[in-house]
Amino acid sequence: MLKKYKPFLRAGAMDTMTFRFNIMIWAVITVFQVACLVFLWLAVYRSSAGGMTSEIHGFTFREMIAYVVLTTVFNYVTFNNDTLWFMNMDIRKGTIGNYLIKPISYRGKFAATSFGSLLTMTALFGLPFYTAALVTLRCLGFLPNLSFPAFFAHLGLFLLAGLCASLLNDVIAYIFGVLCFYTTSTWGLNSLKETLISFLSGTLLPLAFFPAGLRDVLSWMPFAGMSQNPVLILMMKYDLAQSLRCVALSAAWIVALELLAKLLFARAIRKVTVQGG
Amino acid sequence: MIEVNELTKVFRKPIRGEGLSGMAKTLLSRKYEEIRAVDGISFAVPDGEIVGYIGANGAGKSTTIKMMCGILTPTSGSVLVDGLEPYRKRRQVAQNIGVVFGQKTQLWWDIPLVESFKVLKEIYQISENDYAERMGFLGEVLDITRFLSQPVRTLSLGERMRADLAASMLHNPRILFLDEPTIGLDVLVKEKIRLAIHELNKTYGTTVVLTTHDMTDIEDLCSRIILLEKGSILYDGPLKSLKNRFGNLKTLTLTVPAETQAETAPVLSPDVAVSEDDGRLVLRFDADKVPLEQVIQYAFRDLRALDMKIAEISIGDVVKTILEQQEAEHAEKV
Repeated sequence: MLKKYKPFLRAGAMDTMTFRFNIMIWAVITVFQVACLVFLWLAVYRSSAGGMTSEIHGFTFREMIAYVVLTTVFNYVTFNNDTLWFMNMDIRKGTIGNYLIKPISYRGKFAATSFGSLLTMTALFGLPFYTAALVTLRCLGFLPNLSFPAFFAHLGLFLLAGLCASLLNDVIAYIFGVLCFYTTSTWGLNSLKETLISFLSGTLLPLAFFPAGLRDVLSWMPFAGMSQNPVLILMMKYDLAQSLRCVALSAAWIVALELLAKLLFARAIRKVTVQGG
Repeated sequence: MIEVNELTKVFRKPIRGEGLSGMAKTLLSRKYEEIRAVDGISFAVPDGEIVGYIGANGAGKSTTIKMMCGILTPTSGSVLVDGLEPYRKRRQVAQNIGVVFGQKTQLWWDIPLVESFKVLKEIYQISENDYAERMGFLGEVLDITRFLSQPVRTLSLGERMRADLAASMLHNPRILFLDEPTIGLDVLVKEKIRLAIHELNKTYGTTVVLTTHDMTDIEDLCSRIILLEKGSILYDGPLKSLKNRFGNLKTLTLTVPAETQAETAPVLSPDVAVSEDDGRLVLRFDADKVPLEQVIQYAFRDLRALDMKIAEISIGDVVKTILEQQEAEHAEKV
């Protein structure tokens, strides 16, 4: 059954490869972005009571910098799907009909494409950048916990968590995409999704910095699994048991959100017209 | 086998106010207008038949097709395609049907045509043997081999439509839905497409439901016609009976000397309508009421015809007349 989706996986993988130029631009922008964040955190730690050696919400200054660098790379490798935009186009132009008349699931098509692009991104981009980042950070002493051979178990779990993060991101994009049946302001939808994810996933700020109540709620939500948790698994800030729990939680959320997506799509498609012709 | 039973589709369309104030009002409260695009139609198509599904723009043809292939869900009533409801068992039904929407391509725009076919091969899980066999057949009847390696965006409309048709037939569907497959094409390409549909029907016994505005398509291909107007079926039956709906209508076009004129010409019978067209006389009559022989005699003897052309009423004329009658009735009611 899954064989049917092979062409979409391939398309995702190939499309991603054609964007080498984007990667170069991204690299340049990111260097500046990371530099800004480093200075920001530098200011924060300097002005804190304990000075540069203090630990804020469980993060030393060096760990915080490692976190910033790795989250940046992680997000670029993991969140690269165009699901929302393609759905918007399909729904507005009516090309969604082309997929509905084929013996494939519309959701499955996007999942396959995203997976394909994750594979390419991990191989072409993740492999060198993770290696470079990890080696540099370790040599500079920014990753004190990193020790072999325990690291390999964490690496394995990290890759699994990354796959979960990518699938979570894709299914959330798909759920927002279903809303394109009801509204044409896709740009707004996309901004809402991006802001929500970057705030709640710990990309902007580790969730440890949030007020206790909110933090407890968020620890049960799918968002932490999309950025913070995978990176903390890689940094070995989580022990194996905690890492496994994180992956399990993400997997459970994937199942739940996929069901929700299925439900919403079935509802939308029944109510709404495929336009034109 | 397709069974359509009391099929109805109602669209809700928001009524938007005009201008700025109207738009503001729409923001606050929305009123909807209900449009019955398809209104309780029933019919069945047995295996191997080619049915012409015709009607004016907006009659509900495409909406019906979309319900039959699982894109739209009916408001009420049902469609059964080989015993399955397409909007419930969409993927299962999709494996056995092929669809072409003439207005939209379903090929991938930027990749070579043959790559699109290979993708379809995987999606429909077509075996290597079947694929080769189908490509041979389609390459021949649709003449697509020449541009297989070109990206779809570089194809002409005629080539693209043939490619789309081939794409819809690749997995050997039992039923083919063709929504205006000849729209915007030149005479030769139309001919090619008709031949291909005919060939496919003959070779594989494929059932075809065809919508078109080109009556030649209908006359060449369809043994049966379903005529739709404002969401309801006006006529469902053999092409022949539709043609004879207004009797055995014939048209005689006469080349006559200058002194013969429509107004002053002797009258044969009130059942023979005489009119003038571009210097010629046109006689319209029902050959079942007034024998053809009599009219011909009248034409030569009384109208001094020099030459004549006899034509049967075309299916297009019949459909036009029916639709005009409907419109007139509708106007009276309002």
